[in-house]
Amino acid sequence: MKKGKLGYLFIAPATIHLLVFAIFPMVFSVFLSLFRWNLLTSERTFLGLANYTYAFGDPLFWNALWNSTKYALLSVPLGMAAGLLVAILVNQKLRGVTLFRTLYYIPAISSGVAISILWIYIYMPETGLINSVLGLLHINNKTDFLKNESLAMYALVFMSIWVGLGPRMVLFLSGLIGIPQSLYEAAELDGAGKLRSFWNVTLPMLIPTTFFVMITSTIGALQVFTPVYIMTQGGPNEKTDMVGYHIYVEAWSKFLIGIASAKSFVLLAVIVLVSILQFKILKNQLEGYSTT
Amino acid sequence: MRAIGLLLLMVTFTLLGCNRASNGAPVVLHVSNWAGASDNPEYTRKIESLYRQFELENPGIKLEIESVPSDQYLQKMILSFVADTAPDVLSLDASSAAVFINNGVLRDLFPIAQKDKGFQASDYWPNVLGIDRRNQSLYAVPGDFTPLVLYYNKKLFDAAHVPYPSGHWTFEQFLETAKKLTIRDSNGNVKQYGFNLTNWMPGWIVWIWNSGGDVLNADGTAAHGVLDSDKTVQAVTFLRDMVLKYRVAPNLSQTEATGVDPFGNGTTAMEISGHWELPGFRTAPRLKQEDVGVTELPTTLPDSKTVMYEVAFAIPKGAKHPLESWKLIKYFAGALYQRAYQETGIAVCARKDVATERAKDPREQTFLSIVPSARGPWGAKVVGYDFVEQEGKKMMERVLSGTDPRQSLRQMADRIDSYFRVR
Repeated sequence: MKKGKLGYLFIAPATIHLLVFAIFPMVFSVFLSLFRWNLLTSERTFLGLANYTYAFGDPLFWNALWNSTKYALLSVPLGMAAGLLVAILVNQKLRGVTLFRTLYYIPAISSGVAISILWIYIYMPETGLINSVLGLLHINNKTDFLKNESLAMYALVFMSIWVGLGPRMVLFLSGLIGIPQSLYEAAELDGAGKLRSFWNVTLPMLIPTTFFVMITSTIGALQVFTPVYIMTQGGPNEKTDMVGYHIYVEAWSKFLIGIASAKSFVLLAVIVLVSILQFKILKNQLEGYSTT
Repeated sequence: MRAIGLLLLMVTFTLLGCNRASNGAPVVLHVSNWAGASDNPEYTRKIESLYRQFELENPGIKLEIESVPSDQYLQKMILSFVADTAPDVLSLDASSAAVFINNGVLRDLFPIAQKDKGFQASDYWPNVLGIDRRNQSLYAVPGDFTPLVLYYNKKLFDAAHVPYPSGHWTFEQFLETAKKLTIRDSNGNVKQYGFNLTNWMPGWIVWIWNSGGDVLNADGTAAHGVLDSDKTVQAVTFLRDMVLKYRVAPNLSQTEATGVDPFGNGTTAMEISGHWELPGFRTAPRLKQEDVGVTELPTTLPDSKTVMYEVAFAIPKGAKHPLESWKLIKYFAGALYQRAYQETGIAVCARKDVATERAKDPREQTFLSIVPSARGPWGAKVVGYDFVEQEGKKMMERVLSGTDPRQSLRQMADRIDSYFRVR
């Protein structure tokens, strides 16, 4: 019994942190989502579920949800493919491979704001890196990636692949290292080539890792905020207005705290639904392929 | 015995020490601003020394300055009120003053100011003081401000043999001047633009005002009927034509993306901005401060109009030390502080007597002559005007990428009005 009590003491700091900084704000947001209240005054009106009905009837919210979905659908599979590719590359027994592992991880430990500003410079129409390189190749179109309605979203997706490369690489790498060498030897004895081993041994054995990377990347993609805030402010013409930024504007530019809270819970519901869906689809695949 | 004596002595000293601390402890005033977050060390040092000066003059008061980067200032202040940790004195930017004034979280300083013989409302320009007034009430005392003016580069005017603008001029006269100052090379690429249009709403709302239009109705409650009125459409069309039709101003992304101020760089002949630009011109690469001219904005009306941005000082309603805080505000708004502050060259001082000390300089004289025609920004009157400005930015982006101005303004008005309805 005493031992058990000591255990609670150990988990107390993390639990208190979770309660104060996550659970309590969430519960308070539920309360906020039922009111019209700008927080500054004591005057607040109970609206029931009106903020939720407003959210569902707001075309700009739907636009933001759609943009987030599009962003997730593009950045998650592409980011995962890039992560896996780099993990395979840095899993080779080469000299100096740890240096590459470190280099690929650097974006993940840099500040999101700094990275966003760096990419603004990369995407600039006149003096940006991409346009300058294109200029050297005598392609002088001076594309303004972040102000072009049909390109801005892809510009953000491309950047997200680069930013997320490090963590995904590390996860895939640990998955790759965990695959027993005996499986490859058995495959080789059966006459499988490199490509065949990759399809029939590596990929199936990586399913648990893939599953984890997919779920966390999807949640991350649906919550994206910093690059939108710094680089496009949702523009041009709301083409990159994603739901995290949209909610921020509702709360901090328009002071519609109740509506912003209601929209956050809609986002939460979307994330939970998507995660359940991903679980359902991959559940059968997961069984029997665990590396543990 | 000696040990007991020593102990007694120690206890006495400790008690004495305690007494001093509890009786004579200075009042600590928490002051919030965005000044210390400035990246100019000289400016920061100056402000710091002014704070220390106040502490010397008022031995019972200590100042604790909390500097917040200006882009986070508004949110941080709002949250401090929500969390009941608001400072004793806060700087109030006119662009968002309504958030605090209209929500009733600031103390009305009128009663305290009226009783204080050391404070005279007549020392300040009435329209500047008016930004933070509601009827009789006074919610903040102005420190400094700037109207937006038109800067021009005299060297580029001389080179193009164009006379300097002097006083009242129309949109057409401005356009003709800008055309003469736009220089193209043999391939038709622009080497120098006549005007620098930035997608910063305060910088272009003045064109709307000067064509007789506006963004919101008189009491700031609706956009339709005003924002999509003929006069507003006319002004926005004029701005669009300067960029897309006459090409006398660069397109927005070009200016934003190069990251350099084309006016300071000597590649653009005119721009609209505030007094804060002037100290920057001292270090501009291809522009000498003496080559900068100041004039009023072009207008279609009998008198030119402009917007002004002001910094004022306020006391939260629940502040613990209102009298000491008022003392500090009076110091900020007093001649000594303002004269020292004025030396930084950033703005025009709110005190008429101090501001007019600079009137010998023709540039400063122009600023002073423009002051009476300036009006506070909408953000000083309307809560959530930040959103209107964001929509304004999007509207201008749409217009400059080819959308019809009336259609784009109507869309902006729709969004603003639907926001006002649920607010």
